[in-house]
Amino acid sequence: MYDTPNSERDVDQKEIKFSARDVQVFYGDTHAIKDVDVDLEDKTVTAFIGPSGCGKSTFLRCLNRMNDTIDVCRVEGDIRLDGEDIYDKRVDPVQLRAKVGMVFQKPNPFPKSIYDNVAYGPKIHGLARTKGELDEIVEKSLRRAALWDEAKDRLETPGTGLSGGQQQRLCIARAVATEPEVLLMDEPCSALDPIATSQVEELIDDLRSNFSVVIVTHSMQQAARVSQKTAFFHLGSMVEFGETGHIFTNPNDERTESYITGRIG
Amino acid sequence: MVFTLFALVLVLAAAAYLASRNRAARVDAAGDAALHSRPSYHGLHSALWVLMAGLGVLVISTIGATWFITSTLMNEIAQARPDAPLIEHQLILSDARAIADGRISSGSDMLREQVADRFAGLDRIRNVVVIVLTLGAAILGGVLSYLSISPEWRARNRSETVIRAGLLVMAVIAILTTIGIVLSLIFETVRFFNAIDWQLHKFIFGTTWSPLSGVFEGKMDAEKVGALPLFAGTLLITLIAMLVAVPVGLFAAIFLSDFASKTVRSYAKPMLEILAGIPTVVYGFFAAITVAPFLRDTGEAIGIRVASESALAAGIVMGIMIIPFISSLSDDVINSVPQSLRDGSLGLGATKAETIRQVVLPAALPGIVSAVLLAISRAIGETMIVVMAAGQGANLTANPLEAVTTVTVQIVALITGDTEASTAAGPAFTLGFTLFVLTLLMNMAAQRLVARYRERYD
Repeated sequence: MYDTPNSERDVDQKEIKFSARDVQVFYGDTHAIKDVDVDLEDKTVTAFIGPSGCGKSTFLRCLNRMNDTIDVCRVEGDIRLDGEDIYDKRVDPVQLRAKVGMVFQKPNPFPKSIYDNVAYGPKIHGLARTKGELDEIVEKSLRRAALWDEAKDRLETPGTGLSGGQQQRLCIARAVATEPEVLLMDEPCSALDPIATSQVEELIDDLRSNFSVVIVTHSMQQAARVSQKTAFFHLGSMVEFGETGHIFTNPNDERTESYITGRIG
Repeated sequence: MVFTLFALVLVLAAAAYLASRNRAARVDAAGDAALHSRPSYHGLHSALWVLMAGLGVLVISTIGATWFITSTLMNEIAQARPDAPLIEHQLILSDARAIADGRISSGSDMLREQVADRFAGLDRIRNVVVIVLTLGAAILGGVLSYLSISPEWRARNRSETVIRAGLLVMAVIAILTTIGIVLSLIFETVRFFNAIDWQLHKFIFGTTWSPLSGVFEGKMDAEKVGALPLFAGTLLITLIAMLVAVPVGLFAAIFLSDFASKTVRSYAKPMLEILAGIPTVVYGFFAAITVAPFLRDTGEAIGIRVASESALAAGIVMGIMIIPFISSLSDDVINSVPQSLRDGSLGLGATKAETIRQVVLPAALPGIVSAVLLAISRAIGETMIVVMAAGQGANLTANPLEAVTTVTVQIVALITGDTEASTAAGPAFTLGFTLFVLTLLMNMAAQRLVARYRERYD
């Protein structure tokens, strides 16, 4: 994907979705994120890579203000979604999160039926006026998450009864059902086997046509396979950001090169 | 003397432990063959044998010798006073013992002095016999196990077998106690039902409860053992208590687990737990002296007649007592709902309230249901509050402003009343048995319910 010239040319024309300037994050006294500047483009998959504890997940959680739920966490700097400051006092984090969906590392289906799992977001945000509309949204979301064929005959069974890979696709369906503009994925494949991983990766590539996707991953192969842009984080700083092909073949920073070639990590 | 011997056996066991362990260590150091068990296991094995032999013989010989002395002396007393009743024989014996021990006896005569002398003589012999047998057995056990130490001696396996047997005995004691209690309940219940010719419907559906009114004629009056008002009263008070405790406790738990800041939580939780530490008797007089008069006065002020002992007062205070029970159990359950579920919901743009109502509470429901059912069991069995605040008269009513009585109150009244215990025991045990069956059924239902939800939600 990253090596097809076509998609690279696509990327160049995309508009900026998220723009972050001078972002600092503190956990109590720990300075977890330092001076991050980045522009994330619409309808693009951006991968955050870097060694454990480098702050890539923390930065991801800044983008939908999930860090607000952690008492000791403090975010400074300027993050704009479509030009609007998301940390502005007038912005309701609840509405922001409806626009910026999130898929977590471990599949976390609710203890409800498959149908109710997917219908959860649309119901909360009032996206469907009738049962028929809701059914439609559920089907569409499950189809997008490539789960419809496996789940259509068991929509009323608990989501927790699915296999790990199916659960993660259910969580993706749940996230896309609210029609977000951006989808954040925090190591979505780390708990999955290779087959499920490749299914989710295919899915991410499909989702790109509708959403801007940001994915945190430990696997550099995965970043190379699914993303058009890659950001490398190290010790809380964003060391390098650019075209995925460029980062992986010809990094500017020697720390990036060391990580990619396996010398640090 | 028994305690001295007991201590002595413990000392011997410790000595056996050290001696055997050292011998095993020496055998090990000699290096002819590797020891099967570590030296400490050889020590343990010896110590266990000393303890088992010593304490076993101590108990058996003490009981046996005491029984022998008692029966010998009783025989002698019976020969000296053949026409006196058994109870007087027993009195003479206990007086003789008192004289022998230098305590105060109820009377003194030739026979008593004589028996006291005999008793003192036999008692000395008994002491010697018990001491010799106990120490002999303990030492024998120690020496035999000491001598059996060799590299291939499986001391570890053997001592583990002994310990396993000990654990089994403890488990059996716990189970047998339970079975014993249930059996005694059942026997007394059957006796009671025999006395009313098995007219079970009179007990279950009768509305007049005055079980002891006929006992002076020597029989139970089946018309007056209707326990319905008692169970209705229990139910009414439990219902009121739950109406107080479930909302307050559950909402307090939700607040503490999901909304309170760390500081608030660190003060509020211990405060709630203090509520759980207040003895029920304190709640009882709080209900009787503070809450009941307050309700009565308030009722009068707005023109409603409230009895000075009302189901409402008892129920409210019982509810307050149960709040920490529900809140602390529910808090644990709600806290154990994984954070990932909350994150998942918040990440979809749900508010905190939506998250709690639609994700956290359904996931915590089995635990909350079982907490509530446990609380109901407690409310049904609670005694002190209702004894003081609910009233005594068996009054069949659904009006919470009137005095009602409960099963537990009537059991207390029967057992602490003036009627002879053996007569009052029948109805009391029957009520107790019914209460036991009810709580048992409810706990079983709770477990069923929880198991079913578990299947659905995990």
